[in-house]
Amino acid sequence: MTAAIDDERLSGTFAALANSTRRGILDRLIEGEATVNELAEPFEMTLPAISKHIKVLERAGLVVRGQQAQYRPCAIDAAPLEEVSSWAERYRPVWEARFDRMDSYLRQLREQGKGGERDD
Amino acid sequence: MTDEQDAKDAVVIERTFDAPVDLVWRMWTAPEHFKAWYGPEGATIPVAKMDVRVGGRRLVCMEMPSPSGPMQMWFAGEYREVVENERLVYTESMSDEHGNTASAPDMGMPEGHPTTTEVRVELEDIGGRTRMVMTHIGIPADSPGAAGWAMAFDKLSARIATLARE
Repeated sequence: MTAAIDDERLSGTFAALANSTRRGILDRLIEGEATVNELAEPFEMTLPAISKHIKVLERAGLVVRGQQAQYRPCAIDAAPLEEVSSWAERYRPVWEARFDRMDSYLRQLREQGKGGERDD
Repeated sequence: MTDEQDAKDAVVIERTFDAPVDLVWRMWTAPEHFKAWYGPEGATIPVAKMDVRVGGRRLVCMEMPSPSGPMQMWFAGEYREVVENERLVYTESMSDEHGNTASAPDMGMPEGHPTTTEVRVELEDIGGRTRMVMTHIGIPADSPGAAGWAMAFDKLSARIATLARE
């Protein structure tokens, strides 16, 4: 997967999270599956308004809808969240590459050192 | 900020190098050595100023080729802990060439990226070789926007972590 696609997906996740109602919905779903009616309860909003928010979360891959049951309960999919919550994971490969270079640089210094000692 | 708080938003890497501990220490604290390994692939480090003592400043410039000519990125920070051959802690923020720091979003970093980060290096001599643990931690920015993001994520990631353990 290219960095551009990754970035696009991250932006989608951020956009979906940039709303307190949607974060509230996710908070509720962490406790377990819920129907649209149940999700609407704590908010003073119409069902269509809540449905719209759920659709945004679905498009961002943060919420999945059940297929079998008629009321199609919503469930959270945490994978995109873990990605955005961790800027640190984006740095890990940078550091790994640096330490690979440090390792070969240290090796190089050692070879030079040995070479210097052995040279008559 | 405590280690417990840091743990969920940090890079922790452990490596063992076949080199004495004082040499690995110099990799971090001597500009000529630091420049040899630090830059990302294709980048050079034209400037590395390091006043390695508690409260001392550091300023590093990374230069990368780009279609419109070399692009420079500057990072400024301060040494927090300096225990020779054992422990080095410094902060890092994006900055200008004079070391004036800028916020992460202003520098075009993605939202949620902390403005200041902290790098901790712990070294241990294991019979002539060196075990190194590097921890890179985000320090929550004090801007209200960034704090809001951080809180939203902290709350959610904490609960996800709890959920994952169940």
